[in-house]
Amino acid sequence: MNWSLLWAQLFNGLTLGALLVLVAMGLTIIFGALGVINFAHGAFYMVGAYAAYIAYTATYSFVISIVAGAAVAMLLGLIIERGLIRYYYKRPHEDQILVTFGIGIIIVEAVRAFFGGIAKRVPVPTWGEGAVNLGFLYYPTYRIEVLGIVGAALVILYVVLYRTRIGLIVRAGIEDQLMVNILGINVTRTFLVVFGLGSMAAGFAGVVNSPIVTVNPEMGALVLVQSFVVIVIGGVGSFWGAVVGGLIAGEILSLTAMIEPAYSQVMLFAAMAVVLILRPQGLFGVQGRQ
Amino acid sequence: MLRFGADRGLGRWLPEIASIIGLIVFPLLFPIIGGTFDMMDRILIWGLFGFGFDILFGFTGLLAFGQAAFYGIGGFTTAYLLINGYLTNALVALAGGTILASVFGVIIGLLSLRRSGIYFAMLTLAFGEMFYFLDLSPLRNITGGENGLSGVPAADLFFKIEVRTPEEMYWLIAVLFFVGFLLARRIIKSSFGAVLVAIRDNVDRVGVLGHDVQKYKLTAFVIAAAYGGLAGGLLGLFQGYMPPDAFYLETSGQLVVQTIMGGAGTLIGPTIGAGIWIYLRSALQQFDGIGSLWKMILGIVFVLIVTLFRKGICGGISQLWNRVTGSTVSRQTAVVPSAESLANETAMLPTAAIRNRSALTGSVILETKDVVKRYGGLTAVDSVSFQLIEGEIRALIGPNGAGKTTFFNMLAGTIPVTEGEIHFAGEHITHLGSTAVCQRGLAKSFQINQLFPSLSVRDNIRIPALARRYGKFNPSMLRDVEFDDDICRAVDDAIAAVQLTGRADVRAGELAYGEKRRLEIGLALATKPRVLLLDEPTAGMSPSERTETVQLLKRIAAGITIVIVEHDMDVVFGLADRVTVFFNGRKIAEDSPEAIQANPEVRAAYLGSPVKK
Amino acid sequence: MSLLEVKAINTYYGDAHALFDVSLHVEQNEVVALLGRNGAGKSTTLKTIMGVMAPKSGTINFAGRMIENMPPYKISQLGLQLVPEERRIIGGLTVDENLTLAGLTAPNRWHNDRAYEMFPRLAERRNNRGRDLSGGEQQMLAIARALVREPQLILLDEPFEGLAPLIVQDLIGVCRQVASEGRTIIIVEQNVHAALGLAKRCYVLNNGHMVFDGTPDALRRDADFMHRHLGV
Repeated sequence: MNWSLLWAQLFNGLTLGALLVLVAMGLTIIFGALGVINFAHGAFYMVGAYAAYIAYTATYSFVISIVAGAAVAMLLGLIIERGLIRYYYKRPHEDQILVTFGIGIIIVEAVRAFFGGIAKRVPVPTWGEGAVNLGFLYYPTYRIEVLGIVGAALVILYVVLYRTRIGLIVRAGIEDQLMVNILGINVTRTFLVVFGLGSMAAGFAGVVNSPIVTVNPEMGALVLVQSFVVIVIGGVGSFWGAVVGGLIAGEILSLTAMIEPAYSQVMLFAAMAVVLILRPQGLFGVQGRQ
Repeated sequence: MLRFGADRGLGRWLPEIASIIGLIVFPLLFPIIGGTFDMMDRILIWGLFGFGFDILFGFTGLLAFGQAAFYGIGGFTTAYLLINGYLTNALVALAGGTILASVFGVIIGLLSLRRSGIYFAMLTLAFGEMFYFLDLSPLRNITGGENGLSGVPAADLFFKIEVRTPEEMYWLIAVLFFVGFLLARRIIKSSFGAVLVAIRDNVDRVGVLGHDVQKYKLTAFVIAAAYGGLAGGLLGLFQGYMPPDAFYLETSGQLVVQTIMGGAGTLIGPTIGAGIWIYLRSALQQFDGIGSLWKMILGIVFVLIVTLFRKGICGGISQLWNRVTGSTVSRQTAVVPSAESLANETAMLPTAAIRNRSALTGSVILETKDVVKRYGGLTAVDSVSFQLIEGEIRALIGPNGAGKTTFFNMLAGTIPVTEGEIHFAGEHITHLGSTAVCQRGLAKSFQINQLFPSLSVRDNIRIPALARRYGKFNPSMLRDVEFDDDICRAVDDAIAAVQLTGRADVRAGELAYGEKRRLEIGLALATKPRVLLLDEPTAGMSPSERTETVQLLKRIAAGITIVIVEHDMDVVFGLADRVTVFFNGRKIAEDSPEAIQANPEVRAAYLGSPVKK
Repeated sequence: MSLLEVKAINTYYGDAHALFDVSLHVEQNEVVALLGRNGAGKSTTLKTIMGVMAPKSGTINFAGRMIENMPPYKISQLGLQLVPEERRIIGGLTVDENLTLAGLTAPNRWHNDRAYEMFPRLAERRNNRGRDLSGGEQQMLAIARALVREPQLILLDEPFEGLAPLIVQDLIGVCRQVASEGRTIIIVEQNVHAALGLAKRCYVLNNGHMVFDGTPDALRRDADFMHRHLGV
């Protein structure tokens, strides 16, 4: 048993899982509050990475790139919500899926047209270079930092959801939109905020992940599918479902890559199938909207 | 037998004839605008793929995002069998690919259909991706991984015919396309197809009317998988090469986009959409600078169509057609049954025996023993025992929250029982569920209309008639349901019983409210129940409509036992033989209407003086 | 001028006609009861007033403003507050959070402590989640939620439904206290005697039609009428 390989893969799983948690979190609060499953979510992740690429080539500051990526993704989300999605709230779910799917295609193709299909590289920031000696393992510094960054982002998100006015409204709205309306709160304004927050989460994940993977127009497609799997495993509309589901997904991908790389992606779907058979509503399935 | 609107002549076959003409004319006209045989072959392959998908999505309403899995499975199986020499006959190899795709259709369908709506779409997308990864890595040795499988030999058919060039392939593909179309048309027009469309309109009602919805959905899913497998196999033959992108998410997406653009629910919509996609892609390449943007342009067109022209091109054309030729049987004034028409229609029914309230000596047909319903800590129905005599009309009344509706729904099988038993005609039906309960002769009509709004009155009534005649699952796909005389008779009788004969071809969504309520009762009636459960049949009606409904129910009541939940006391007194009163989840009285009126405990329950529990 | 003036509203559920030319009015500081069997349209009337449903015709005037086409949140901000049937407490939020949520857009909101003074039971449960409260406690919270907004007019929709008689007595006491503080209330109830005990005037609905407008005494005197429209 190669212990250092095992530890490395466990940590890889955490890193990968943390990013999946962030992406899935964005998806699940949008779905919980608005009832819309955003098939363009992967495209926002990709847009965040590209915005970071532009910002980095202009400023050589990774921190600015993070802010740029998150902000651009959020802005894009706000524009799309106001411009198109809000006309779809009363339409059947299938139509919402179709229009977000179409938007995803447009965004991906627009980026491809502008930047070309060749992958870009966002280098690891200077404060993330090298490796850290954890005692039982030498592990890339940046990946540890990713854990910290994502952890911080999740804490902020938690604080926003559970300790602020707007978070209170969002949580209440996920459960009973009409009652929140009756209590004098303009719910549709909060939709805008939720969609922006969710898109920002995806964009943020895209930026943070960009030094680890290559930046290309297709990078969001796999993340989209994987975040669906996370939601099915964790349960839709649930904060903790996204967290636990994401971490489980990350570890499954990582550990099976160690045992049999060819099967690692497939195992994730197999896990989803198992959850589906044994507990269709997911581990932390919340009733709410569906 | 008088058949309103059925065309027994050549007109029935118009689409099939048109398709033959179209397939012959296509290679003559398309090159004029720059089309090639390569493009035509691809369009027809996508069209074939689309027949199955349209049956699943356009007709059954199930949006699946993972059809590429079956396209790839069929394609790689066919290619593998031919390349490695296991088979030499291309048609047999295609059959092999189709069969394997169908087998996986069953497996993936069973898993994905455990959820519905959005989750179903997400699951199919995920499983589709799973096959992509299977193709790429673990099964690399069989499928060629990123390289795909090349060297598919020229298609060797029966009688030593060999097909290789795009021109020759066109005829092979066209024949299979036509056969696929013929089959799809038969499926849609069959009784199986009728149930699919009802599922799209109102899935819950289909189950309550006696159909096994999951089996129908699964069968539609497998049909889509089969068509996908066949199309994939043809792709490999046509290209001489089976690419891994057959498994891409993009492939599933392309199928969805094409179907929406062409128009879902039309069978040929996907073919038209494919034509647009493929032609546009090649046409836009001519222009510098725009060439690489073709997909983005298509994406924009797609979003516009979903937003503004939801029914796609075919929908747009048919809307134009209706406007040009004048609209169909839609916005006519509601037919209010006159005294003469009432008399005439009653004459067509089996003689209605005059109800004699005091002469009810029938056996117990429906019985509950200490039935309880609990929701967490709340007891909604507390140990209710109840006996229904065959032939009687029983009203369930009680203030809000008394538990009568909960009890009623347990009888109908639409909510589960926490404790206790329900017996129907001597059989234990407590945990059977609404589909099985309906099949045994216990049918329910809803307080809020649960109709199939896009179907005509006749097509609405056909759904329960089919379940009554053929049981909860009938995969009969080859016979045209409009020529099923047994069903036609049953449907016409039920329509007459609720006085909708003059409106039989109007879409249910366009009926007046009173007519919709009658149709709602008609749906339950068409299951030929022994016991009919009516949930507030006069809800939302004006006083005159109420009186008419009471008359209607009196007529229907001959030969059927009825349980009715009502708040309108005039209706209760006009109809009921006996009244059961609920309060706080318990049965507090059960007697004739006059006795109930005088009962002090009942009065207290309604008006709220302190009452001993 | 009346605080609330409802004139000839017709409300539909889809194409089911639920309210037929219903009119009523409420003056400042009155408690008015709206009675009828279930299915009569009482809740539908309150929902229409609150903007949860839009009437096809008719007008609703509240404190000088025409509100029949306003969304619920705007009407709430004007000082009209519905306490819906089934209470609709946000189960995932604590009692305290439910109260905070309610007061967010109210200009003169109560401090949560004032609500706890009025409902000591809720004070004990302030950190419990809404879904963990008993039926009676949820009803108290629902009423407290409305009071926190200092509304001019409160619409109580079946506040006593599904509750044990002892709890109902408690709640009647609460309602009396609220009324005595000079608030204007419309109470919809199937429990006729409890409602009449609180109200100064009452209306009776039957099958969506208004069939009585008068005092509780006048209603009680006509026993026949009562049984016809409210009983069996």
